[in-house]
Amino acid sequence: MSSDSQSRQSTALPVSRVKYIGILQDGVYRTNPVTYQVLGICIFLAVTTKVENALVMGFALIFVTAMSNLLVSLLRNTIPRRIRMIAEVAIIATFVIFFDQFLKAFYWDMSKQLGPYVALIITNCIVMGRAEAFAIQNPPLPSLVDGIANGIGYALILVLIALFRELIGFGTILGYTVLSPAWYERNILFIMAPGAFFVAGFLIWVLNFINPPKPAEVGK
Amino acid sequence: MKDNTRTLLFAGVLGLICALALAGVSQFTAPYRQANEKAEEVRNYLAALGVPGREGMSSQELLDVFEENVRVEQLGEQTVYRYIPGSGSQAEAVAVAVPFSGVGLWGPIRGVLALGPNFTTIRGIRFFDQQETPGLGGEIGAEWFQNQFVGKRIVSAGGDPGFKVNKPGTPEDVNSVDGITGATMTSSRVEAILDNLAKELLKEKQSDVQ
Amino acid sequence: MNPTPILVIFIGSIFTNNILFASFLGMCSFLVCSNRIPTAIGLGGAVTFVMTFTTAFNYLIYHYVLVPLHLEFIAFIIFIAVIAAFVQFVEMFVERFSPQLYYALGIFLPLITVNCAILGASLFMVLREYNFIQSVTFGFGGGLGWALAIALMAGLREKMGYSNVPVALRGTGAVMLIAGVIAMVFMGFAGMMSLQ
Repeated sequence: MSSDSQSRQSTALPVSRVKYIGILQDGVYRTNPVTYQVLGICIFLAVTTKVENALVMGFALIFVTAMSNLLVSLLRNTIPRRIRMIAEVAIIATFVIFFDQFLKAFYWDMSKQLGPYVALIITNCIVMGRAEAFAIQNPPLPSLVDGIANGIGYALILVLIALFRELIGFGTILGYTVLSPAWYERNILFIMAPGAFFVAGFLIWVLNFINPPKPAEVGK
Repeated sequence: MKDNTRTLLFAGVLGLICALALAGVSQFTAPYRQANEKAEEVRNYLAALGVPGREGMSSQELLDVFEENVRVEQLGEQTVYRYIPGSGSQAEAVAVAVPFSGVGLWGPIRGVLALGPNFTTIRGIRFFDQQETPGLGGEIGAEWFQNQFVGKRIVSAGGDPGFKVNKPGTPEDVNSVDGITGATMTSSRVEAILDNLAKELLKEKQSDVQ
Repeated sequence: MNPTPILVIFIGSIFTNNILFASFLGMCSFLVCSNRIPTAIGLGGAVTFVMTFTTAFNYLIYHYVLVPLHLEFIAFIIFIAVIAAFVQFVEMFVERFSPQLYYALGIFLPLITVNCAILGASLFMVLREYNFIQSVTFGFGGGLGWALAIALMAGLREKMGYSNVPVALRGTGAVMLIAGVIAMVFMGFAGMMSLQ
């Protein structure tokens, strides 16, 4: 992963000082995976066209990050150094495929809408990042909470952006018409690629304005 | 050396467990996944052919309805789907569905055209796979666009095979529909696909009759 | 079988369906490494090379090994393994035969493994039911498209060094907005190839 994001992630906490609330807060907003760590952008841009899609993808991320964090943490003293990353990828991939298979079996329409982006969770820097930065050094329960927290942080942003894009682009939320086509001219650009980039850019602008990153990390 | 053995052993065990777990899940979900995939295609043929009572059916139910009512045949190089309601091999076909595919603006366009048994009147059409601009070219998947086709023909008033997708506002023909405002390119791509299809089909039918 | 002609796939994957501006793949490396032109071009070239070959290998493995054995469900893991192995191989090759290039690319080489564009290319190939020639064309074009994207962005960011960007917008925010405008431009390429 980029050395940039590594320097921002929390280091191993001594077991006795573990505060679950703290882990939760970090994952959800203090070091939010998307807006602060700037990870998992690919998926974020692609699935936020509808709130429904964002919800399902968000859930997928919570599931995969939590479960892989848990398993990696349980195995942290057993995994040999040399194949550490490969083992992490294998574990993550297994959970992603679980989810993908279940989606194809029981929620076929959504599977088609999300397309290859479910599989891309495997290369999503967030999942791998948490496994490397937290789960490999911490006990199972805090790792599980960290996984859930980061997953929730990601899901929140996904849904927030999707709310904007679906509303401005289609005039609906979760398929229910909020802005009636009778008077609202749908702005399709927000559903398409440029819209995704613009919304993401403005979101980051607003968030950096509210919570400025430290001077050393401001962009080049 | 002990380190190496340990690494290999770990890799082997982890690999095995993952593979087994995945194989298990795959087996479990297989019947549902496969039914979904088949039903995907079948759903569109049933919709185009106008087979009644499809609302809210599960994948398996759709497949059953398809089995009962639709016969798959070859017409030259084209695979066609004859809708014959009810039982009895002597029953007359009500409609015939022909799949088509071509290149749209952003990606392939795939669909099904349902014709009357004389291969001339259009009973329905479904565009089930397209990546056109949502709200513009993407409207070819919408009800209103597809409903235009019902009752149209794939031969002109003069009897020549062909199909046109016109600019909205142009006078209507027996073998034309209105395109989509603001989606000229998608409309012309659709016209090319359907015009071609009309000519191909009637060429086959002609040689069939002869 | 996908009916799209080869030339349309090639031009499409570079311009109208640019793997980054239209399919959003490869964003992480794009955001981090797009600030200097030489780095961007080097990385773009490496990604193109890896994408072309891994798409080809993955096609062969998927259609001649996984499908006949009904093992499609482990496709994702196999794809990633092929990509990781190939990048490893390329790394060793470059280190042996061109130490300057190896030194210049530095950490970016192993980073290619987790570049979602590479895995994404293989996934799209399966999803869109491309045949072998279509797959390789798509892999090559996709790589070129990504290289074009990162080179464009690097050029713009170098120029931007002299502009007065609001503090909160510097870095990622600005890149996103610029990417949005470029995405709009690339959308304009749609329909530039007329078909018979």
